[in-house]
Amino acid sequence: MAMTAAVVTDRFSLQLTFLLFTAVVVVTLFTALLIAPQRDEISEFYLGNRTMTPLRNGLAMCGDYLSAATLLGSTGLVALTGYDGLLYLGGTAVAWMTVLLLIAEPLRNAGKFTLGDTIALRMPRRQRPVRLALALCTLAVTTLYLVAQLVGSVALLTQFTGEPSAATRTLCVVVIGSIVIVYAALGGMPGATFIQIVKAVMLIAGVGVTAVMVLHHYHWNFNALLTAAADNSGIGTRFLEPGLRYGGSTTSKLDFFSLELAIVLGLAALPHVMMRLLAPRSRHVLRTSVVWAMGLVGLVCLAAGILGLGATAVVGRDTISRMDHKGDAAVLLLAHALGGGVLTALLSCLAFVTLLAVAAGLTLAAASSLAHDLYGEVIRKGRAKETEELLVARLAAAVMGVLGILLALVSWGANTATLAFLAFAIAASAILPTLVYTLFWRRFTATGALLSLCGGLLCSVLLVVFSPVVSSTPASLYPDSDFAWFPLQNPGIVSIPAGFLLGWLGTVLSRPEPPEEYAEFEVRALVGVE
Amino acid sequence: MNVEQARQREISENPEFRLLRRAQRRTGIRMTALAVGGFLVYVLLSSFTPALMNTSLVGHLTLGLALGLGQFVVMALVARRHLVHMRTRIDPIARGFRTQAHKQQPDPGEQGTWQAAPFRSGGQHTWR
Repeated sequence: MAMTAAVVTDRFSLQLTFLLFTAVVVVTLFTALLIAPQRDEISEFYLGNRTMTPLRNGLAMCGDYLSAATLLGSTGLVALTGYDGLLYLGGTAVAWMTVLLLIAEPLRNAGKFTLGDTIALRMPRRQRPVRLALALCTLAVTTLYLVAQLVGSVALLTQFTGEPSAATRTLCVVVIGSIVIVYAALGGMPGATFIQIVKAVMLIAGVGVTAVMVLHHYHWNFNALLTAAADNSGIGTRFLEPGLRYGGSTTSKLDFFSLELAIVLGLAALPHVMMRLLAPRSRHVLRTSVVWAMGLVGLVCLAAGILGLGATAVVGRDTISRMDHKGDAAVLLLAHALGGGVLTALLSCLAFVTLLAVAAGLTLAAASSLAHDLYGEVIRKGRAKETEELLVARLAAAVMGVLGILLALVSWGANTATLAFLAFAIAASAILPTLVYTLFWRRFTATGALLSLCGGLLCSVLLVVFSPVVSSTPASLYPDSDFAWFPLQNPGIVSIPAGFLLGWLGTVLSRPEPPEEYAEFEVRALVGVE
Repeated sequence: MNVEQARQREISENPEFRLLRRAQRRTGIRMTALAVGGFLVYVLLSSFTPALMNTSLVGHLTLGLALGLGQFVVMALVARRHLVHMRTRIDPIARGFRTQAHKQQPDPGEQGTWQAAPFRSGGQHTWR
């Protein structure tokens, strides 16, 4: 591995990172295999241990939600753009409110393994086309997010070794991808839950300790931290004012609002988060779990904000942006300045474990959608045996993993944040309308579900294709051509209302479903079946 | 129509159930509007009225930064309020209906039918 100028760390911390990461992977892999579903029960493979305590459930939810993007990307955003980065972190935490207040309990009460099962309760006669459309949207969201995680591993490696060679790159993605396949295909939900909890504990501890070190560095004086950050940002108090990144024009302000909208609303519809919501057996455990998850995510977001400000204050904004123009190096630079090679190694190991765990959760969610909705209900029309569906689920996990590896190798230079934001936008504009209407709207029909699922997916993807992300600016995928008639990089502000509107339109234009079905569904969703 | 479905329909026509539904939905929407809507308004204010948000409170702590920290306080308060509301208002009534729905369990054969019925899947799936 050649060391080049743009390297954060020394050889010692690179070796220590490798050692730590290998240790964590070996331990979690063995445990995952030990606690893997022994009996051929699909419920255990999809939902795992349903009697876990709220704290463990909360940790697993928090682990599923917080990706390496939060640890490296968001802190980097704070370090480079100050106030705007902090606003973004706030959205990450606020997103859990919708889940807690509206979605979690009705979904669990009326749910089984996937959202498709909940919809099937509402519209049993036309469940198959809806399940097909839902599986399509789930695949789109999970694949994008999975590729973002795997591409992120290459970006992380770049922090150590400079621009990695093609062989190193391939090796990195293939190794990470293979570990993910083992977790998901063999370990199922119990295995994924274990790595999720390990990762969440490591993440909270790592980020928390580093934040305490930053605050200690400034003698627990928040104002001193802000002053130092402003002084070392090179732009003075402008750093602590809104608009550094998204304040250029009305278009970019709307772009930022569009992004926040997708993040705040998209969470509730992310397939791997929804799977976690279905796992707890009682509504009380679920409620307490979500509150734990919310608190822990809030804590990590606050700590990440302090890390970002601390990185600018201690290291300086110029150094960070010189190392990586997106700011991904901020945390590692800060760790090196505060705790030397050991802390750097700990945090970079943490980043690798984080993206590994999120990728495992995503692969599992995609596999359960493929096996349960697509194979079990659409192809085999509900006649598949449990052992058969289980085998398909394991195969689907392996196929998803390989697909993720291949796509990540093809698009390794892609911007991970753009991929993740598109995944959130699709979740918020395609899956969320169907989820909300299914749970709360008496009149909702299968036609409405189909129209909002397909329409929301198409709308968000097409808007991104015709946006500056793909063409017309130097940072685009195709900088030389110009077919970007949609000015915003984030489609949410248009595609989310479009998804809801299409769902409404399809419903009012179609024949109503028999009202008794909703009556039964509502009793189940509100009262529960314990 | 089997026993379970009949009982669920009976519950759904109960005026107390309608009250429960309205109470849960109204507070849910109201609190979501407060927490999520409040945050989105804060984002818009930050983007479009930077002068207001840059008002200094103490040292470098501006109104915008203070409101940002305030979001976390609002989240904690709303979550607390939600837990209390669910525990005192919703749970007791829901528990009552749940016992009513399962008061006389149908015999095992019949139970198998209602569990699998919503999925039309031949009876090998159960809810647990």
